[in-house]
Amino acid sequence: MALLEVRHLTKRWPTGRLALDDVGFEVREGEILGLLGHNGAGKSTIMGITLGMVRPDIGEVRIGGRSVQTNRGAALQQIGAIYEAAVFYDYLSGWQNLRVLCSLSGWWDEAEVKRVVQMVNLNRAIQQKTATYSHGMRQRLALAQALLPQPKILLLDEPTDGLDPEGIREFRELILHLRKHHGMTIMLNSHLLGEVEQMCDRCVILKDGKKVYEGPVPSQEKSRRMFQLDTNDIGLAREVLDRCGATMDKHGIVEVPLNMEPHELVTVLVNGKVQVNAWQAHRRTLEDLYMGLSSKS
Amino acid sequence: MMLFLQQWYGELLKLFARRRTYIGFGAFIALELLILLLIKKFGMGPIQKAIVGSGQSFEYYFSALTVASTIMGFGIFLLGALFLSLVAGDIVAKEGEDGHMRLLLARPVSRFRLLLLKYLTCSGYAFFLVQFFAWTSFLLGLVLRGWGGGYFAIVPEVSVVAFYDWWPGLQRYALSSLYLGLSMTAISSIAFFLSCFSIKPAAATIGALTYILVDFIMRNSGFMDDYQHLLVTRHMACWGRILAENIDWPLIWRGYAVVFAVNITLFTLGYAAFESRDLKS
Repeated sequence: MALLEVRHLTKRWPTGRLALDDVGFEVREGEILGLLGHNGAGKSTIMGITLGMVRPDIGEVRIGGRSVQTNRGAALQQIGAIYEAAVFYDYLSGWQNLRVLCSLSGWWDEAEVKRVVQMVNLNRAIQQKTATYSHGMRQRLALAQALLPQPKILLLDEPTDGLDPEGIREFRELILHLRKHHGMTIMLNSHLLGEVEQMCDRCVILKDGKKVYEGPVPSQEKSRRMFQLDTNDIGLAREVLDRCGATMDKHGIVEVPLNMEPHELVTVLVNGKVQVNAWQAHRRTLEDLYMGLSSKS
Repeated sequence: MMLFLQQWYGELLKLFARRRTYIGFGAFIALELLILLLIKKFGMGPIQKAIVGSGQSFEYYFSALTVASTIMGFGIFLLGALFLSLVAGDIVAKEGEDGHMRLLLARPVSRFRLLLLKYLTCSGYAFFLVQFFAWTSFLLGLVLRGWGGGYFAIVPEVSVVAFYDWWPGLQRYALSSLYLGLSMTAISSIAFFLSCFSIKPAAATIGALTYILVDFIMRNSGFMDDYQHLLVTRHMACWGRILAENIDWPLIWRGYAVVFAVNITLFTLGYAAFESRDLKS
């Protein structure tokens, strides 16, 4: 079931630049969806529209069946978000920041706040002013505020930006923990392919405001059989592969058709006089997919 | 209602946790002390002449209330305008610039409610700052002149000159400070209105100060004598009429009706501007 639906979003900035061009996708209950794209592709604009901070020219976002554009208050009851860089009030403590933010949701439960603070591992610093926090601590506080009060969907806008490797790993484990143990649905906006690959079930790739891909993250794919072919006869190999219904990209990655076994395809290549230097299983990465889509005009 | 109060508490917490908020209080105290020292060293000057010229006893009317009123007269408008513009000019623009607004509006709270909370906060600050100035001036007056004596009230802007004994004078002083607090919310409203646009906080502050000073200069220039009703500082000066022996309430109510209309209009326009903005860096 789709918990968040993005429908036909189009947005043009006053400068005339088209930020989004008829973008639509959905986030299903319990999944982690990655929103990928180059800088300026429209990822943050989608987040902004989802939170009602940016107005689309056309289209809408529905959360739990409620339109953000016509019933923002009710729709956002189900959402926790880190939108762009989380900037806290440095002159307040972490606890006071949470108090101020939670009051805007009309909610305050001290026991629950303490539990979340402990979960993000900030219990010792929570009474300190956030001016003294490191970047990692701020991101953990940002996650804590997003988790209060108990949202169904978490929107994370480049949450690991600026974190050191330990911080990134810690953050990733926390997100995966939230999904596994709290059944949380998460939309993650990132330009870090590795991050999306390790955390997400599906991804949407944006390019210049257009959706160019929506589907499983390649490393999660079970059905596709990819092999790396090393040959000196590229042209001939392509001809032979074409006849069998197999495809080969410019890097020599061959996708074996469903009606054939990989060793049968090798036999066909050899019988077709293609010199096969090497044939090895290839695991398609998100980077392959992303770069493939990026290189297409 | 409880929720609204909790949310307002959050805004007040933010306001009073900032050092900048206290600059105004500190500046007023410094000004009060300076004027007090000057009064002690050089006497009351023109005030003394006005009292003696009216055939009254300077010794009797040179009281804590008269001193407090003199200090207020010197400082409240210009210094008040500066600090109220500073706080109100910051209240939306600074949060927008720093990115706090995106954090706040990721919550299920409407922009209207958020702005209303902020508007009430800066208006409340305006009122509170005036009360602070009025009563700390009075305390310093007490230190200089002690309890008792008369009250010589003079507000040239509305042509009010009056003499009171201690208790009636204290009542008038207290009442006038409340009305002055209400008048000063107009300055906060102008700065708040500008703050709602996508501009730098300093620009909102300078814009508000410029408007109010130009208005004030035009009122005193003589060129606008036929159009005084269009100048907001003229209506803000209504508080001075509280000090007249016979209070002209209809005139005061008319003045405050304009001040409140200006406040509501500026809030509404500010909200409309803010509502139409896309909040994205």
